[in-house]
Amino acid sequence: MKLRMYEGLFLLDNAHASLEWDVVVKHIHDILQKNGAEILKTEKWGEKKLAYKIKGHKRGTYLLIHFNAKNSAIVTIKRDFQLSDYIIRSLIVKDDKIEELSQIATTEGSAEKNIDKIPETVIKESLREGDMSREVADTI
Amino acid sequence: MTKRRFNKTSKCRFCRMGVEEVDYKDSQNLPKLTTSQGKLFSRKRSGNCARHQHSVKVSIKRARFMALLPYVA
Repeated sequence: MKLRMYEGLFLLDNAHASLEWDVVVKHIHDILQKNGAEILKTEKWGEKKLAYKIKGHKRGTYLLIHFNAKNSAIVTIKRDFQLSDYIIRSLIVKDDKIEELSQIATTEGSAEKNIDKIPETVIKESLREGDMSREVADTI
Repeated sequence: MTKRRFNKTSKCRFCRMGVEEVDYKDSQNLPKLTTSQGKLFSRKRSGNCARHQHSVKVSIKRARFMALLPYVA
């Protein structure tokens, strides 16, 4: 089955992220690789103040990962993230411009500004809590 | 002198910039499309075309979910 490009944004618990950043990143990479995803690019956004409290957290660290995965693997990936202690919230979105970004990822390892220009189309919002309506519009 | 009523070339801001889809990670521009309370501006107020207004709506809702923007400020 064909791999598709996804973009995942993770909100990480500061208590873990500040002390053992490498462990947390490896944990997320392991989950992705276990489900047959190949990681293209990992970008740390750093610590930020949240717009509202989530489970008592006022601040969090953001991590952006671009990866290729099978369409069918996303469900298990999302569930694994929900079970993880390090991750407060995650959002996985389909990225349509596959070639452009995979080229960027391979040629320039840390082309951070290019990422902003690349649009994504709707897809998956993985919800940690059931407080929002689920919005899953998979095209394949 | 008559005032120029409207600019012929005026278009939706994303059309002018040549943006195809609005990005939910764009924390610079998205707050400009919401009120101080965090509500979305109407299409009339924001001046966006239908396609980009839809894209703005989706990306603001995503940004809210990831706590980049407030639901209620």
